[in-house]
Amino acid sequence: MKVFRAFEYRRGTTILHRVDPRSKLVYLILFTVLTVYFTRLLALLLVFLSFLPMVYIGKISARWKQSLRGSLFFIVFIFIFNFIPTAYLSGNIYGAAISAIAMSLRFLNLISVFSIFFLTTSPEDLTQSMVQLKIPYDYALTFNMAMRFVPTLSREAQYIMDAQRSRGLEMEKGNFISRIRNYIPVLIPLIISSFRRAELVADAMESRAFGASKKRTSLYILKMGRRDLLFITVALASSLALFAVNLFL
Amino acid sequence: MVLAIIEVKGLCYTYPESETPSLIDIDFRADPGEFVLVTGPSGCGKTTFCRVLNGLIPNSYGGDFKGTVVVDGMLTATTPVYELAQHVGLVFQNPENELFCTTVEREVAFGPENLALSREEIMMRVEEALETVGISHLKEKSPEELSGGEQQKVAIAALLAMKPKVLVLDEPTANLDPVSAKSVLELMYRLNEKNGVTVILVEHRLEMVSNLVDRCIVFDAGRIIADGAPREVLYSEKVSELGVGIPKIVQVSKHLSEFVGEQLRFLSSDELASYIRGRRN
Repeated sequence: MKVFRAFEYRRGTTILHRVDPRSKLVYLILFTVLTVYFTRLLALLLVFLSFLPMVYIGKISARWKQSLRGSLFFIVFIFIFNFIPTAYLSGNIYGAAISAIAMSLRFLNLISVFSIFFLTTSPEDLTQSMVQLKIPYDYALTFNMAMRFVPTLSREAQYIMDAQRSRGLEMEKGNFISRIRNYIPVLIPLIISSFRRAELVADAMESRAFGASKKRTSLYILKMGRRDLLFITVALASSLALFAVNLFL
Repeated sequence: MVLAIIEVKGLCYTYPESETPSLIDIDFRADPGEFVLVTGPSGCGKTTFCRVLNGLIPNSYGGDFKGTVVVDGMLTATTPVYELAQHVGLVFQNPENELFCTTVEREVAFGPENLALSREEIMMRVEEALETVGISHLKEKSPEELSGGEQQKVAIAALLAMKPKVLVLDEPTANLDPVSAKSVLELMYRLNEKNGVTVILVEHRLEMVSNLVDRCIVFDAGRIIADGAPREVLYSEKVSELGVGIPKIVQVSKHLSEFVGEQLRFLSSDELASYIRGRRN
């Protein structure tokens, strides 16, 4: 559950927080594409290093590290499942290790770029930018709500786990399969309570005139400024540079 | 006679997929500016009644709905909830499910934004609502950082921004500590007294409210079993038979009445205290 908490937005005043979500979306797309496109370890490492200044500027290092720590399980998983088959098929242990590390790093990069984006972008700004990108408000709001209730649900999951543990459910008992099965008594109450909560939230929204008019007003309109131009320029330039470096590596 | 702001006639309601009706033969009328306390054991139909008043029932819930409910001149069964929302505000039990924005300001603006008002008008309404509730200083905060009482005040401000004439509160203090509960209830009293908002308050903390309200109705098993001044209602036979949620002060008064041989009907510990002080002198 910690993985989710690491994506939770908290207000800030750094330049990264103030840049328009649409500019950050450009950054997100560019660096996601680079990460997926690159296969060499060194290139992926460079991409990873490029996140460090971003994390520093946005003052999000603590939670970024948390997100990396939270994904440790997946990284080990990815490493093993890449290493063993490649090493077995090619017989080249060194090469297999390098490519498995590259794959794990690729995953770390994806986690990082998304975490930079979500940690510095308020759900409302994101929703608003979606609306201004002509995405229907209902879809934008659905997305906003999903983000809003992630921490709530993760807290609830924790409560349910505690409750089931106190009734004697042993979550860490047994082999891989039965451990997964142990989660069923947590998941079922969680799903039911989520549906119930969804109904209550819908009631609250309707009670505040949700859906009253086809074209609702937005209190704040996002405007791209010089800051955004600069941000996009830097993002484009650095990704082109990384691309070039990858060609000559 | 004044034109009623809420008029419920012959209301029977059964939730879809439910066998037993949740509300039976409800007749209820409230005049503008009234402060009505609603109480009764849990599962007696109070929450259902709240949903009826702002049109969630039958518009969103469906089910078997008989009778008529007219609020501020509108027949709820044929008026969309978003229309009714501008006349009746509903405050829920758990503020966690009511608030979904990252700042208090945006939270309060959500309703007026839906109404497609102009930006200036929204700003004005937000300021006004925050001021009325007394939380202007929290404008930039995130609802998650606030205490339960403050959250509930944000929820109330968010409704006031739509300028409703009626506020319906479904156990707004259920998740609050006594101090926050008191301040929320006092806010309701002020809104009623000063701003003339009609208030329908479902509440279990009777000691805190029974001396603030004009009228008290008691639900049991889907019916209204008592309706009148709190002093009459709380000391009536029917209500003492229920035994649930009756303020301790009522019990104390009854015992004391037997003891001193005189009919005592206190509603607050203050009243009791001043009586005792009077006896001593």
